[in-house]
Amino acid sequence: MLGFLSARQAGLDDPLRLRRAESTRRVLSLTLNPDRDVDRIHGNGINNIDIDAIEGRYMLSGGADGVIVIYDLENHSGKQQYTCSPVRTVGRSSRHVHKFSVETVQWYPYDTGMFVSSSFDKTMKVWDTETLKPAEIFEFEDNVYSHHLSPIARKHSLIAVGTKNPKIQLCDLKSGSRIHVLQGHRAEVLSVRWSPRYEYILATASADSKVNVWDVRRASGSLFTLDQHNGEKSKASSQTVNTAHNGRVNGLCYTTDGLYLLTTGTDDRMRLWNSATGENTLVNYGKVCNESRKQLQFTVSRGCSPEFVFVPCGSSVAVYALHTGELITMLRGHYNNVDCCEFHPDFQELYSGGKDGNLLAWVPVVRTADVEEMSNGENKGAANLPAVNPAFQDNWSSDED
Amino acid sequence: MKNDMNRKRALISDAFKVKRKRNGTKTFGAVDEGGGPADMKSTLEYLMTLFPRKLFNDTLPPIVLKHQLYSIHDDKTLVDKEVNKLQESGELLMFQLGFDSEAFGLVFASDYKAKVLAGEEGKVTRTTVDKFLEKVVSSCPDLSFSKDKMLKDFLFTDSEITQLVKSGVLTVRDAGSWWLSIPNSGKFTKYFIQGRKAVLGMVKKSKYNEVLRADLEERRTTSQVKFPIKYHVHDIVGAELVESIPTTSGTLLRFADS
Repeated sequence: MLGFLSARQAGLDDPLRLRRAESTRRVLSLTLNPDRDVDRIHGNGINNIDIDAIEGRYMLSGGADGVIVIYDLENHSGKQQYTCSPVRTVGRSSRHVHKFSVETVQWYPYDTGMFVSSSFDKTMKVWDTETLKPAEIFEFEDNVYSHHLSPIARKHSLIAVGTKNPKIQLCDLKSGSRIHVLQGHRAEVLSVRWSPRYEYILATASADSKVNVWDVRRASGSLFTLDQHNGEKSKASSQTVNTAHNGRVNGLCYTTDGLYLLTTGTDDRMRLWNSATGENTLVNYGKVCNESRKQLQFTVSRGCSPEFVFVPCGSSVAVYALHTGELITMLRGHYNNVDCCEFHPDFQELYSGGKDGNLLAWVPVVRTADVEEMSNGENKGAANLPAVNPAFQDNWSSDED
Repeated sequence: MKNDMNRKRALISDAFKVKRKRNGTKTFGAVDEGGGPADMKSTLEYLMTLFPRKLFNDTLPPIVLKHQLYSIHDDKTLVDKEVNKLQESGELLMFQLGFDSEAFGLVFASDYKAKVLAGEEGKVTRTTVDKFLEKVVSSCPDLSFSKDKMLKDFLFTDSEITQLVKSGVLTVRDAGSWWLSIPNSGKFTKYFIQGRKAVLGMVKKSKYNEVLRADLEERRTTSQVKFPIKYHVHDIVGAELVESIPTTSGTLLRFADS
């Protein structure tokens, strides 16, 4: 690390290099830290979490009991030990609370004044954060598995909704209309995701083992379907044979630059696809245990040099290197299945929630202060007391000066 | 200037020792850093020697499963890439074995051709199979073929396709497409599944569901297990049906319940 610092100082290295190196080092040392805690509000499992993109300060969590909680992640207490406390809660006593479990929650991408939640009670509610009342309720005929707002959209404000019905609905936030329907899947749609690179590209995953990529401006069907065998082998045989996985596809995640798409399926595999061509990059992650019948939320790191994928695997979170498929580590700490995880890009922290109702914060290990060395200049991180080398203690000077 | 370029090219990940599994405890002395293409081929040849030819009266070419390679080389993506390269060059053929959508069988192209032609001696379908091997197998390393492709690109007639299915070189995938297959491989599949179940059973029955790999390889096998036990051990480790844990007394295989 000193090498990187001095190279940055001398101008030999790009400033971004030091930043990436430090981010990578921090991600590689993620562990549970007794100093960092998230208050336990949910009585049942936690289905989905979202950290707001603007400040990275507030975290939304949606639980299986229909409760939505907003946590403040920032530590203003000045102390090492910090428990993330809930700022607002839509609890069971609220008049507008969802009747059944909340499946997906997402902040409005441009400010934290609004958020959208969808649930198994067949509704999607757009909430005003200040008053915690829904500004708009979209009702559907079936359980809503997943919804997503495009994080970069400027020309449209569409929410893509995936329900038990194979048709994907696009709801417009501005006008409240939802006439745009995307047809193409044959079974329930478990996950939908807008591309972070192009505001009109949408990827959808369904229980019929297929992943479709759509351009919502087009009147005709999907752009292409992802095929795990990469095309020619089964193209002539009808399109129905093109499958992304050999089971239900229940997780979708774009990398931050939008160039690659990751999918997970109940065939215990995770695949990395080139999002422009739909080609399977054939990176082999091995067996990624997946038994979820609903959407699985997994995430990719941002700002590190080999990017990492954090995917819930049973009751632990597996960390893989994105492009090589190597398993870096398994983060163990939950007592039951993990359903969701989210990466905080500014602090390189990972938050994960699961059926045990706990939200765990995985924090990079802080460099401990060097106690023996005389050179206190190297002390980064928490050094509460300046450790005095016994050789320098004397009888006449006092600490009170 | 050159130092500058080297610095820019250096990967940040090299600056950190990304955790690697300790490999000093592996008893098997094969190359376990995925080297160049030659290494993959030598691993394949080693695994082919484990295949019992006599069991099938020499009618089958030696078959190796792709995931057996994962138990020897650490980097799965590299294994996949190398196997793909060998496939493209026409040396290796990959088959969908049917009992598991993820289990792919690998056979050297030369072995395959030899055995298939030997099996076709004196049969009516010989010429068609010959033609098939010449045209199709040598030129395109695909797993499956569709009706369109067969009729148009390769100019086979319907009756010829029926002959190919009869001789066992093609098996039906769905209406209008076929998998490439190995004739008489039914016996292989049967014995293989039987043996895999038996070996897994051995691991499961042990105390704590775990057994040292060296121990397992030394054990006497029941009559259920027709293949050499090492073949099955590579299979269950590569398919992640057991977890491979390095310990001070060798590699430990623990049954992975999922």
